[in-house]
Amino acid sequence: MERKNFLKSLLVGAISTPALLSACGKESDSITPSTGGTGTGTGTSSGSCAVAPTETEGPFPTKAPASYVRSDITDGKAGHKMTAKITITNTNNSCAALAGALVDIWHCDAEGNYSEYGGSGMQSTNYTNVHFLRGRQTTDANGQVTFTSIFPGWYNGRATHIHVHVYAANGTSLKVTQIAFPEGSGSAVAAVNGYGKGLNGYTYNASDNVFSDGVTQELATVTGSTTAGFELSITFGVAA
Amino acid sequence: MSTRLITLCYRKIIDANASRPWEKMVFEDTYTEFRMQAQLLNQEKKYRSFGELLHYAPGADQLHFLVSAAVRGYVQQLGGLVPDVIDNLGRHFLKFSKFQFEIINSDLLDKARHQVAINFYSEPLMWHDTIGTQLLVSEAAGVGGEILTNQLSLLPFLSIYSLQTRD
Repeated sequence: MERKNFLKSLLVGAISTPALLSACGKESDSITPSTGGTGTGTGTSSGSCAVAPTETEGPFPTKAPASYVRSDITDGKAGHKMTAKITITNTNNSCAALAGALVDIWHCDAEGNYSEYGGSGMQSTNYTNVHFLRGRQTTDANGQVTFTSIFPGWYNGRATHIHVHVYAANGTSLKVTQIAFPEGSGSAVAAVNGYGKGLNGYTYNASDNVFSDGVTQELATVTGSTTAGFELSITFGVAA
Repeated sequence: MSTRLITLCYRKIIDANASRPWEKMVFEDTYTEFRMQAQLLNQEKKYRSFGELLHYAPGADQLHFLVSAAVRGYVQQLGGLVPDVIDNLGRHFLKFSKFQFEIINSDLLDKARHQVAINFYSEPLMWHDTIGTQLLVSEAAGVGGEILTNQLSLLPFLSIYSLQTRD
């Protein structure tokens, strides 16, 4: 590089310094707006500088919980209403109620689909039910959480079930399990009858690969009817 | 003359260097959610990095989706404007209604290695001309008569995502 050009490039650097400083001074972007000028040494590149943000401060962000945190997880999904009461007890404390535990549940819709399937992964800001039929609640003093949802449908290879993940208040996993449903005549599974598709080909608990080792720990009590809605209750012991 | 309709994608990277409140909250909350959700796929605690989980744990690609629940509330707080991207007047103007969250890297034991991205997809814009290094664009809705325009530079991590030509 000729001496003249070199000096020129120094000069460009000096000129663009204030722009750099002001960009940094805004405790600004992870991507610092390009100030151009460096490396070309032509002295004309300052015209391609990008401006720094120049706006009134804000909006001010506030802490936002994960969109799982809600009691009603229906998200407009069609189906028979179901209220699920889950009680968490501590097997390390004589099965006393465990307060402050986080309980995640998720299940499929009436057609047997989960919210994570399909799509490009692109989410719309106004399409709020992308995480449909998934919820998180914190247990109360009685160790209980309540969700409002719909009675799950069924899909090939599995009996009707709800996934449950229990965490300690700090997020440490305490238990990953599933809720099984009573079946046979008079049961909710029989009453819902697969939302019209029937139970032809249904996998019953005895042949389900998760529940076939026995469902005594996972079988919920389910009462109610298709018109009045269903009430599900179950207690899980975790070692906390 | 044909008109060109484009959408832009801005890929906002958020990592341990996050300095502004919004970015810090996204960083913290996505790391917390990642650690919670990863336990489902890592019940034997065999893996510690996101890369290992993706490679060895079946279903680990769900983690993008599962952890995205931690950012929805923050994305909604942006009021429909893509962050960081400004026009030549120094103002945020780029509207979006679609985004995609991705985990780039993470580590269950080392928060400093947590790195995520939010891809913001803009509403369609008419691309009228290129002035120097800047695109002259207007909102696609403007038809006939005078339309208001914006000039913007394509900074790093900002690209034209789709192009549609109309006669």
